[in-house]
Amino acid sequence: MSGEEYDSDMDYSEEDCGYADYYNTEEDCDIDQIDPSKTDPEYFVFDCLSVEEVERLLNESVESLSNSLQITPSLAKVLLHAHNWLISEIVSKYRSDSSHLLVISKIKPPHPPEPSILQLGRLQSCPVCLASQSSDKFKSLACGHPFCKECWSMHFEVQITQGVSTGIGCMAQECEVLAPEDFVLNSLSRPALRDKYQQFAFRDYVRSHPHLRFCPGPNCQVVVRAKEPQAKRVICNVCRAIFCFRCGTDYHAPTDCSTIKKWLTKCADDSETANYISAHTKDCPRCHICIEKNGGCNHMQCYNCKHDFCWMCLGDWKSHGSEYYECSRYKENPNIAHESVHAQAREALKKYLHYYERWENHSKSLKLEEQTLLKIKTRINKKVMDSSGTWIDWQYLLDATSLLAKCRYTLQYTYPYAYYMEAGPRKELFEYQQAQLEAEIENLSWKIERAETTDRGDLENQMDIAEKRRATLLKDFLENWPILSSSKRKTFF
Amino acid sequence: MTALPRRIIKETQRLMQEPVPGISAVPDDSNARYFHVIVTGPEDSPFEGGLFKLELFLPEDYPMSAPKVRFITKIYHPNIDRLGRICLDILKDKWSPALQIRTVLLSIQALLSAPNPDDPLANDVAELWKVNEAEAIRNAKEWTRRYAMDN
Ligand SMILES: [Zn+2]
Ligand SMILES: [Zn+2]
Ligand SMILES: [Zn+2]
Ligand SMILES: [Zn+2]
Ligand SMILES: [Zn+2]
Ligand SMILES: [Zn+2]
Repeated sequence: MSGEEYDSDMDYSEEDCGYADYYNTEEDCDIDQIDPSKTDPEYFVFDCLSVEEVERLLNESVESLSNSLQITPSLAKVLLHAHNWLISEIVSKYRSDSSHLLVISKIKPPHPPEPSILQLGRLQSCPVCLASQSSDKFKSLACGHPFCKECWSMHFEVQITQGVSTGIGCMAQECEVLAPEDFVLNSLSRPALRDKYQQFAFRDYVRSHPHLRFCPGPNCQVVVRAKEPQAKRVICNVCRAIFCFRCGTDYHAPTDCSTIKKWLTKCADDSETANYISAHTKDCPRCHICIEKNGGCNHMQCYNCKHDFCWMCLGDWKSHGSEYYECSRYKENPNIAHESVHAQAREALKKYLHYYERWENHSKSLKLEEQTLLKIKTRINKKVMDSSGTWIDWQYLLDATSLLAKCRYTLQYTYPYAYYMEAGPRKELFEYQQAQLEAEIENLSWKIERAETTDRGDLENQMDIAEKRRATLLKDFLENWPILSSSKRKTFF
Repeated sequence: MTALPRRIIKETQRLMQEPVPGISAVPDDSNARYFHVIVTGPEDSPFEGGLFKLELFLPEDYPMSAPKVRFITKIYHPNIDRLGRICLDILKDKWSPALQIRTVLLSIQALLSAPNPDDPLANDVAELWKVNEAEAIRNAKEWTRRYAMDN
């Protein structure tokens, strides 16, 4: 069996279509009616595996490679880990130049080892512990560097304690040969240490496997498997975490993996700077140069035009009495500080803040709407108990709330995308669609909050419009869409 | 405290019997894993004429883990920071249990002869070393005179 094909006894997990799931609407389950790989830009087939299932999967690859190359399973693991579990590639490289493959995989040294100076029964000094021992107490890897067995096991113990497993190498200086699993395990006597080694190795194997991804949910043991390492939406069927399969972070369409990483790093780095600048700088009301406040005193003097003014209200300092904290102009016009755009230095920050504020705002709205969902559930419960309608009558309202969350989530992630977009017609189109989506989302939100007085047909119509806007935006801007050939996906069924 | 491993005893004996030229390493009277080290500034380096004190400690799992070494004498060097910490690969990921105290000290001496501003620990020093080597060397000589001489 090839490691790249899925075994049939593992069924794809059924994504349930329950209303508790915000991001999952009925269309994901309608695969019989239309081919979703052609219509849904977020369509992605994956399954959620347990640790045991993944172990079985990995072992099948190990066995297959070990059989076709006639090597130990332990060496097969080193090869698979070093070459992203691509069995066919490893086999063909092995057939064309096995020696080269073993060297680049750090199984063999680049130069053949010196003829062994070990002579049976003779005493020899271990280069690490400096103890003289008989030669049968020594062991070496393919590089031939001999060390006593006791030193090997101490070396492994220290490395494993530091979390190293597949990366443990020979003890000789500048020797890069790796210690295969059987060599390590044979040197370890404590079962706890052997377990630890195997745990760390498993972690390394999953990380080097292009079709596997650990679920990032807190304390979740699930490993997600998909055919291709694409930036697609995955929902863990155990902890419900929603993440991008390729990078393992929060799902981020239409923004791509590297852009969202850049954006999140920027937000983390800049939040300090941005807060500092908005809290500590203002423009001089007379010459509009950017002034930094570096003390507690609210009496400012502009270093450029020497104008004296009040930091709080930006009014002329001369008009201020002793109780300047009561300055009325501050209350009258709190936004005066934001009106001038003369300071060149703040242009970039303003652009960033424009996107950042909207990004943040939608994230907050998403949290508020989670509360709305809870309220709606309570309300429906009450209505059903009062015999005004049945559960099924009110289902549409929950569906609407789920859809709202899904749309707003996508809207939130359009802002990092737009921030990094170059100006031009494509950005104009993007921002036009973004504005359309935003408008329909706010309409939907308004109608949901007033659901009892809104006509059901009207609400369902609004849901349809919002989702269409979302899908249009994703289809036009999602990476790899529709480049990915649908024939590849069809092999799944 | 557990018995001192043979390896440490042997290394210490050899360090005392055949000292490395320009380096003295003496174990502390109360702790045989702690060494008082003095490295002489190499000839033709800005550290020439200086005597640099270091401390070297062998952790519990030595030689499976690298010794911990730190400059006590202040030194102006791109690979040594204000706290005396040394950026040297064999003290980190390139450590091998087959290396010894002797090889570590020799490598530190070599680092004084050949500073490597491309792998810096002290960024401001490394920066100056790259843009104005003459001034950096002047600073290093000045620090050597001020902190590492007649003490
Ligand atoms: Zn040994
Ligand atoms: Zn070796
Ligand atoms: Zn999970
Ligand atoms: Zn991603
Ligand atoms: Zn001014
Ligand atoms: Zn005022």
